[in-house]
This record gives sequence, C-alpha cells and structure tokens, in this order.
Amino acid sequence: MRKLILNIHLAIGIVAGVFVTLLGVTGGILAFEPELDRISHRDISYVKPGGRALSLAEIGNAISQKYPGEGIVAYLPSTNPDFPTRVILSRGIVSINQYTGDVLGVRTRGQSFLGTVRVLHVRLAMGNPGPFILKWSSLATVVSLLSGLYLWWPVKRMRIAGRWWSARFWYDLHSAIGFYSLLPALVLAGTGTVIGFEDHVSRLFDYISPQRPIENDLVLPVAKLEEAPLIGPDQAVAIASAQLPGGVPYRVQMPRYGGLYVVALEYLQRRVAGERNLISLDPATGKVISAHFSSDLSFRVRLLAANGAIHDGSIWGTPSRIVAAIASMLLPLQATSGLLIWLRRKGILHTR
Amino acid sequence: MALFLLCAVAAMAADLAGKWSGSFKAEGADHDIPQLVILKQHGSTLSGSAGPDASEQYPLENGRVDGNNVSFQVTTGEWKFSYNLTVEKDSLSGNLKLESTAQVRNAKVTLTRVKGQ
Repeated sequence: MRKLILNIHLAIGIVAGVFVTLLGVTGGILAFEPELDRISHRDISYVKPGGRALSLAEIGNAISQKYPGEGIVAYLPSTNPDFPTRVILSRGIVSINQYTGDVLGVRTRGQSFLGTVRVLHVRLAMGNPGPFILKWSSLATVVSLLSGLYLWWPVKRMRIAGRWWSARFWYDLHSAIGFYSLLPALVLAGTGTVIGFEDHVSRLFDYISPQRPIENDLVLPVAKLEEAPLIGPDQAVAIASAQLPGGVPYRVQMPRYGGLYVVALEYLQRRVAGERNLISLDPATGKVISAHFSSDLSFRVRLLAANGAIHDGSIWGTPSRIVAAIASMLLPLQATSGLLIWLRRKGILHTR
Repeated sequence: MALFLLCAVAAMAADLAGKWSGSFKAEGADHDIPQLVILKQHGSTLSGSAGPDASEQYPLENGRVDGNNVSFQVTTGEWKFSYNLTVEKDSLSGNLKLESTAQVRNAKVTLTRVKGQ
C-alpha cells in the first residue's frame, strides 16, 4: 500500500509539478495583487485625505473639463480615504483626487504584468487547454498533499537535520514544509479545485439547494440612452443607500451605459464573501427598479463566492492573504525538493 | 460622374441597420456570451447600442463601415469591446478584442440579423 501511495505521489510530482510550481508562484503574487497594482501605479493610486470630499457631480464636472465631450461610464467612489475616486471613461480609468478635484492620471487599457500573472494562474495564458490542465493540476495537488501526509505519518519528520545539499537535507526540507504548510496548501488546492470544476460543483449545489428564480429587471427602452438623466449621480446614490442603511457605494454605473443607474454598495465593517448589493434606478424618476442584496444570493453563489475569497485569502483580510501567499510560494519549493529526492534516488543527481 | 460613382459606392455598401444577435466565447472561457447589437447606419458611420441582451445595452463608439468591413467599440465598464467584423449577407463575423486595464482577451464573434424586426 505504501509503495502504491509513494508511486502516486511521485507520478503527480513528475506530471503536474511544473504546473503546481506555476500556480504557486503566480498565486503568491496574486495574493497581494491590489497592493502591487497600487505600488506599480503609485502616482495615481494615493491621495492625501483632507477637507470635504467632492460630490460625484462635482467630480463629473472636473472630468468634463479635463476630457470635454467624453461620457462617464461609471464612478468608482473611494471607500478608503487614502485612495482616489476613479471614473471610467472610454479612454480608460481616470483617478481623481476627491478632495481637490485634481485629475491624477489615466489607466489605459492593455495587458499589464499583473494581468499576465493572472492569466497564467487562471488559464496558462492560453486557450481551452490551459484551464483544463490547471483544474486537474489543482486536483492532483490535493491528492499529492494527502498522499504526502500518508507517507510522512510513520516518519513524522518536522525539522531539517541534514547537511546542506545532502540527500537528508532535501528529504527533511520536503517533509518539514509539507507538514507546516499542509493545512493552508490543502485549503488553497481544494478551493482552487472547486473553482476549476465550478460547473460541476454548481450543479451539485443546485441539486442540494435549488436556486430561486430571479425576476428580470425592468429596464428602460434603448432609446432612453440618448436622453440625459433627470436625477444626478449623487441623488441616485442617496436613494440607493436608503435601501441598504450602512452600505457604502463603490460603483455607480451611469444610465447611458446600461439604461439605468446601477449603484453597488458594500458594508465596509463586515465584508462577507459574495458582497453584492445592486440597486437599479430609473434615471428619470429615481424610482427603484430592482434591488438585489447579497443576502438574497443563492446557496450556490454564496458558497462559491466564499470559496473564491478563501482561495485568494481575502476572506479574513491581510492575515489570511499572508498565509495564502506563503503557502502558495512554498508549493514550488515542495515540487523542487520532491523532484531532487526522486532524481537522487534514480541516480540521475548526486548529492552529498 | 464622380458624384454618381460616389452615390453608387454608397448604395453598394451593406445596409446594416437593424438588430443582430449572436454570441462570443473568449479564449480560455467556459461559456458563450450572448450578444445583441442594434445598429443605425448613416452612410459609413454606425451608431446604436450593444450588450448581452435587450435589457442591457451600451452605446456604440467609433462605428464605421468600409466596404464589407465593419468596426465599432463598446465600453461596458472596466472592459472595452472592440469589434472587427466582416459582413456577408445576413451575417457579421470576425474578431472581438476585450480590454481591461490589466488584461487583453480575444474572441471570435458571429452575429446574424434578427428577422422580422
């Protein structure tokens, strides 16, 4: 039995090791994607808090002066006093100091370094084979971790006792990392597997808890796109906020871009996974056309959102993201040390 | 004579006005995304709206017709959709480029004219 488990463990390492390494490195980077993104665009990502924050209408005026004739697609009001409000235009996303009205700059659309890291993590930066390979690699990682636990159990090695580069060193390193990172690595690989097999998992969840039908939103005719809204974005936010007391707006889609005002709100103090509160308003009357709250989400959507938040470490904020990043970054080390142990046993590599 | 030729060329350009429906699938994506495009044509200029269905439409930008080549853009929010299509009878097909501030994705899109509008 032990030999069979060892062979499975080895086979997974050889076949999926390179993909596990890629998932680990890219996942470790993505755990801090928002911070890295802000650092790489420092000049348009921070403001000095002070004074009254401008209304959305005032921000819209500042944008119109800077970019005359360009329609505002959506406002992304800042939910952190140190970060600027952003405004989506066709040309890109404009950062604006909400205290002074100064336009800080524009993020134009295109492939970024972090975007490349993300597409590598999600689909190997390729078409259909990418997601297929990665979802099976995630599942293989789960099996590898569990088989590793089985193999570790009789030995229970938790310290590195061997000399540098000796066979014992790599074995100890592999065992110790495997032990200390087992739980977070298992969580990462497990949640990653659920993401990879989301279609199958969704069907299972829907079977357990059938999805409630969602009523179609009543939306104004397309012709209305040509007309100017009668209520302003600040009024839209005020009406929407009344639907969710304590909710903070983080996105206001303008009616020309979708026919209605769509205001997205969140609770800053209790950011639960799957926080999606969307209020749609008739731009002519301010009447609430539809209101979807995260509490209305189906069991499946909430569970999958929670799964995603656990996977990227955002569910418990910075501490869980640090754990996710470390566990993720240790996966390549595990794959490498495992490979070195195997190469030495095969006599391909000589260690001290 | 030149005016006549110009008018003739304009008359030969496909009449694209109307509703077009279809779908696209971005590379590496699991699902087809439905599309409904409502075109208005003024010579070689296109306007109108596009979106996943009739209830969610976004205004067309930079719409152009050049012979059988049709191009337009739609900004839905963080993503900008740039269509480069070829018209053939009642079908518009070609490439779609999706751009955010982090990613660029490509897709093949096919739209067919909605009959009985």
